[in-house]
Amino acid sequence: MLRIRLHGRGGQGIKTASQILGTAAHLAGFQAQDFPLYGAERRGAPITAYARVSKNIVLERGAIAQPDILLIGDETLLSDPLASVTEGTESSTLIFINSRHPSPDLKKHYQLESLPVQLDISGLCQKYIQKPMILSTALAAVGVRLMGHIGLHHLLKAIRDELGQERLSADQLANNLKLAEEAFQKVPSFDLEFRKFDDGFSASHLVVLERRPPVDSVPVIFATGNMALRKTGNWRTHRPVIHYEECNGCAICYARCPEGDIRMDANEKPVIDYDHCKGCLICATECPKHAIEIIREVASWN
Amino acid sequence: MELTKNKQMMLTGNKAAAWGARLAGVDYVPAFPITPQTEIVETLSQWFADGHMNGKFTNMDSEHSMFMAAGAAAATGVRVFTASSSQGILYGLEALQTIAGWRVPLVLVNVSRALATPITLEPDHNDVLSLRDTGILQLHAETCQEVLDYILMAYRIAEDPEVCLPVLVNLDGFYLSFTREPVILPDEAEVRKFLPLFKPSQPVFQASQPMARASAVFGGGNYSYFKIQHHLAAQNVLTIYKKVAQEFGERFGRFYDAVERYRLDDAEYVFVMSNSFATKGKAAVQHLRKNGIKAGLLKLSLLRPFPSEIIGEALDHRSKVAVIDQNLAPGMGGIIYPEILKAVYRREDRPEHLLSVIGGLGGRDIQEGDFISILQRLDQDPGDDPLFLFDEKDLKQFDQLRQIAGFSREARVS
Amino acid sequence: MTASILDSVEESKYKKVTDLNPQEEIAPGSALCAGCGGLEGMRLAMKVLGEDTLICNAAGCFTLISVYPFTPLKGSWLYTSMSGPVPAAQGARDALDIRMAKHGLDQKENMQVMVVAGDGATYDMGLSPTSAAIHRNLDFIYFCYDNEAYGNTGFQQSGSSPLGSYTMTSPSTLDHPAGSERSKKDLFGIWMAHNPPYLATVSPREPIDLSNKFKKAKDMKGPRLFICLSPCPTGWGFDPKETHLIAKLAVDTGIFPIKEFVNGKVIHTKRPRKRLPVEKYLERQKRFKHLFEPERRDDIIAQIQNNVDTYWEQYDE
Ligand SMILES: Cc1ncc(C[n+]2csc(CCOP(=O)(O)OP(=O)(O)O)c2C)c(N)n1
Ligand code: SF4
Ligand code: SF4
Ligand code: SF4
Ligand SMILES: [Mg+2]
Repeated sequence: MLRIRLHGRGGQGIKTASQILGTAAHLAGFQAQDFPLYGAERRGAPITAYARVSKNIVLERGAIAQPDILLIGDETLLSDPLASVTEGTESSTLIFINSRHPSPDLKKHYQLESLPVQLDISGLCQKYIQKPMILSTALAAVGVRLMGHIGLHHLLKAIRDELGQERLSADQLANNLKLAEEAFQKVPSFDLEFRKFDDGFSASHLVVLERRPPVDSVPVIFATGNMALRKTGNWRTHRPVIHYEECNGCAICYARCPEGDIRMDANEKPVIDYDHCKGCLICATECPKHAIEIIREVASWN
Repeated sequence: MELTKNKQMMLTGNKAAAWGARLAGVDYVPAFPITPQTEIVETLSQWFADGHMNGKFTNMDSEHSMFMAAGAAAATGVRVFTASSSQGILYGLEALQTIAGWRVPLVLVNVSRALATPITLEPDHNDVLSLRDTGILQLHAETCQEVLDYILMAYRIAEDPEVCLPVLVNLDGFYLSFTREPVILPDEAEVRKFLPLFKPSQPVFQASQPMARASAVFGGGNYSYFKIQHHLAAQNVLTIYKKVAQEFGERFGRFYDAVERYRLDDAEYVFVMSNSFATKGKAAVQHLRKNGIKAGLLKLSLLRPFPSEIIGEALDHRSKVAVIDQNLAPGMGGIIYPEILKAVYRREDRPEHLLSVIGGLGGRDIQEGDFISILQRLDQDPGDDPLFLFDEKDLKQFDQLRQIAGFSREARVS
Repeated sequence: MTASILDSVEESKYKKVTDLNPQEEIAPGSALCAGCGGLEGMRLAMKVLGEDTLICNAAGCFTLISVYPFTPLKGSWLYTSMSGPVPAAQGARDALDIRMAKHGLDQKENMQVMVVAGDGATYDMGLSPTSAAIHRNLDFIYFCYDNEAYGNTGFQQSGSSPLGSYTMTSPSTLDHPAGSERSKKDLFGIWMAHNPPYLATVSPREPIDLSNKFKKAKDMKGPRLFICLSPCPTGWGFDPKETHLIAKLAVDTGIFPIKEFVNGKVIHTKRPRKRLPVEKYLERQKRFKHLFEPERRDDIIAQIQNNVDTYWEQYDE
């Protein structure tokens, strides 16, 4: 079996990518399974999807703890410990990163065990479909190619099948197919061996729960306001940056930020809380002085 | 009406329930009417209006709303009572399941009435047993006295700092709800010693105690933690029940075990029953004994938590046992029967024969003749299929109705 | 309200955004979408209401405001069920009143009881419990964040989905080109028929108007009801940065009238001087895309325009 895990953010087409992978494998005559794992989070938060490809019946379900292939659609996730993107990988795991940085730099910067495969598929997406972060087609194409065993025609058919269900025009579909072809050709194939897990099972360490008092037995939260412990700054793909010399302190940005991430300081200037700013860019859009610049987050470690 | 010490009066089951709430010093009653429960809420509404009860009676718009209001009020620190029946329980099921998980103490009464379809009025226990798996505790009453006494005991259990769960007291519609019999009204001062006025044992909503309650929980492991805790708390009530029942008995002279063993000691034949029809079972036992047949009855009072051990022990060496379910799970049979099987399965001296009987559906009477038929079946290998208490008379009467309804042998389907 | 109270209300009115409470009553970090218009509405409301509030919540997107073990609130929160928040508010309100009257609970422990529910919970399943609560004169605040569909389940049609909007259960097809084929329920009218002491619509784009309405309501008793049109980038299909632009267009086209109902009268607190054509609002949202592509559906657009015009004709001076 080959186990593929995909990482991205809600709204980036990660689930669709896993479905294209699943369908392509199915069309190529394999047994296949795909599924997305939604958390409570809405759009923008990290999400994970999975695909399994096998010559025999797939007797597994649920999350993949030890993937053979890891497809990372959104590089910013790698610097977010909570997203646990590389969890369960070994030196043999094939890692793909959507990035403009060369592979050795990525290995060093993210302290990966092996050299990842790198390609700027956002650039390709921009070129063909004018949406750098709608990654479904490109990420699936990369996945299929890396894995091997599945031909381009199966990939293209799978894309037609899967995207056909969305409301795409004929032109958009054609552009997606061209995008897939280029992404497919731009990465090497590894023709991965189908792995068997034969290291046996050991018993889980079950515990006998002690009875706790009622108040400790319902979801009760006394630590009011502790939501701030969750750093949603990692949702951001773009960063609003205030140019103070142009800011007149009108506080419109403060009033409009749904997250309450902007406060007015003692000098009546706005300060953005980047730990939590989700990057909706409302502040930048609403600023009457155009004093807030929008910067893409991805190149943050140059 | 003036209260004198331990006054005995003729009361319906519904009135006894209302008295239970009044003596408990209940603060809050959210209500919605349904036959055969109405007398309870009408009585309480009158008592609040007259000032015999202090607090608030609120007319709600549905049972779903009523149970939600009840739960939220309990989470905000008052003693809550409410009552419903049948369709009302089903309509409120989502709310009931929800507030059980809130771990809030309150007492609710269900006046059993069979469920639609067909819509009807007389009792069976499919309504209350639909709450079997909610984690709401259940006490089932045979007499009007038990209704009152159980309500008082129910508050002690619900409000125990180790428990904090809703407790349901069940009584049969018509057979108890509208039936008057002598009931001892315990002295209010004595009741107060047994059940002091409410003081919440866990944090409740108020400005100085901000908290988020019942927030969403994700992850199966986290979810499991809360569910297992709910189970452990419910299980623990077996111990707490014993303590509360003992104290109640000492104070008021009426002792209630989790089950009642009626002439079980040397019994060869045992009927397992609950609620008001247990009285009919007791009569049958007396009658059979007069005729030299060693019969006995096991009455189930505490249904949740399920006193498995106590039941198993009570049935040790009783060779022929009939479990009379006044309910039906179509495609399965009686609902209590498999629970009794669980109680006896691992015991060495378990009964030889365990017969499943379904009777009393929609209030269909269980008569002496039915008990004889049950004995006869118990003497054979009872098999696995339930024995239905439905006789020639029932069939003949029904066939007359269907004739009037226009059915004949030639009735067409299309 | 007496004249003198009215005067002091007038004086303490919010006039500019720097008058708003600088404290954030909702901490950041929640799981709601970036750019959620409803959250902005609630954030502004909570700035006025403050922390002595118990929020009873209905199933919906905003249930994710508190996910164990986190809460962004300084005050209290109770998740109930989809049609449960209003009766829960009743139970909590009654319990607080009983404790203050009967058990000597200090008045300082009192809380504002508030319902936070989406349009699905409000217009559909929760309509009857709410009707009953208003009828009982329950002392509470109702905040309905209206994103015009069942959002949390993936954007299906609700009683609030407007004519011509596409949802996952009202797709636009050859036989049903409009998508949602009925105008949204007039919840304001339905609630108004109950004659509550206070009822208002608010927009996250109008923080001053919104804050003043909550301020007015805060000191009143009985049911005080708010409908907040909540642009939803995820469900409506627009870039999150445009949340306020969409909210503004809803007002400027006259699609979403900003008004209040007090003392038996409807007052429009923000009136579009010259109404923009509705398509200015529609064309920016993917849920109305089928009204413009592959071909323009002038019939449906005209119907939407006509509905708006008919509404305003009643109030034209
Ligand atoms: C009784 C019941 N039925 C269905 C659901 C599933 N459900 C959860 S949230 C939701 C959507 C609620 O829509 P709305 O009230 O508009 O809030 P939104 O999700 O848009 O914020 C639904 C249908 C539920 N929780 N309870
Ligand atoms: S909106 Fe622009 S000008 Fe106004 S305070 Fe913010 S950054 Fe400064
Ligand atoms: S981008 Fe601006 S408005 Fe959006 S969350 Fe960040 S600070 Fe707030
Ligand atoms: S789906 Fe819409 S309403 Fe729900 S959280 Fe996201 S933006 Fe807000
Ligand atoms: Mg909604």
